[in-house]
Amino acid sequence: MRRLARCFARLYPRRWRARYGREFDALLEDVNLTWRDVFGVALSALGEKYMSDPEVVPRIVNLASRDIPHGYELETAVEYPRGDGSTMLVRAFCREVDLGDSYVTLNHNTRGSEPAQTILVFGRKGKVDGDFRTDETEMLVLRPDGSVHRTEQTVKTWLKYDGLRDRLRDRYRTGMQAGQTPDQIRQQIEEEGTLQSWS
Amino acid sequence: MSDPNVLVLASLADGDKHGYAMMDDIERFAGVRLGPGTLYGAIARLEQRGWIRPVKSADDRRQPYTLSAEGRRYLEEQLSDLSQIVSTGLKRLRHA
Repeated sequence: MRRLARCFARLYPRRWRARYGREFDALLEDVNLTWRDVFGVALSALGEKYMSDPEVVPRIVNLASRDIPHGYELETAVEYPRGDGSTMLVRAFCREVDLGDSYVTLNHNTRGSEPAQTILVFGRKGKVDGDFRTDETEMLVLRPDGSVHRTEQTVKTWLKYDGLRDRLRDRYRTGMQAGQTPDQIRQQIEEEGTLQSWS
Repeated sequence: MSDPNVLVLASLADGDKHGYAMMDDIERFAGVRLGPGTLYGAIARLEQRGWIRPVKSADDRRQPYTLSAEGRRYLEEQLSDLSQIVSTGLKRLRHA
């Protein structure tokens, strides 16, 4: 049964396998699999395969970046495909201020028709271990209803997320310096598949 | 209530868990057994929406996940809607 499930798991798209393959295989080892599970793996893998049609990738609608003291601002608008064929526009404004051993981040974003949400984070950088960093943070979430939710917590920051933002900013800056138009930069980023690998 | 997204978020609401621990927990509190394909379909969707995040683990194959602030907010909204439906339904049954 397990062998069959593993065979079906190979039907997942390469991008999906690269991200979840190891942990998914570990789960298949841990679970007492039933025929229904095996069928579910096949169905899910085929769903992922056909929903991640290479023609249907996130499309950058807008991208802009500005350098500011100790950091940068980044504005993005990305259209994400949905399984039902429609798209969802995600608009985000981010201001990153790096103060050495601490940082301040302002994120303002909207997903589709949902009301905008603003998140302000003050963080003290902690120990880096592989792709993660353990930070002490104070976070204010400004909810659409006007209420403010404040939390203090230790978070494990996944540095690869920050890496994507940094890559977009660097790509935009070098493109502008080389005399490219924002449209040309957006097109090149899409061709490089930077966003696709994270969608 | 059998929406895999909400079940996964509810499972993570009391602490970080990897895939097998989520399956086990969901079966205990909801009586629903999510198969591996359904579970990882939900995990991938929730991670894409920024509602859960992977966290560091000593075992690099059994990846635990944590609920993000946005995920917690979404779960609160879903459970509040559900609670309203349950309370209205019960009230109507009593008066029927």
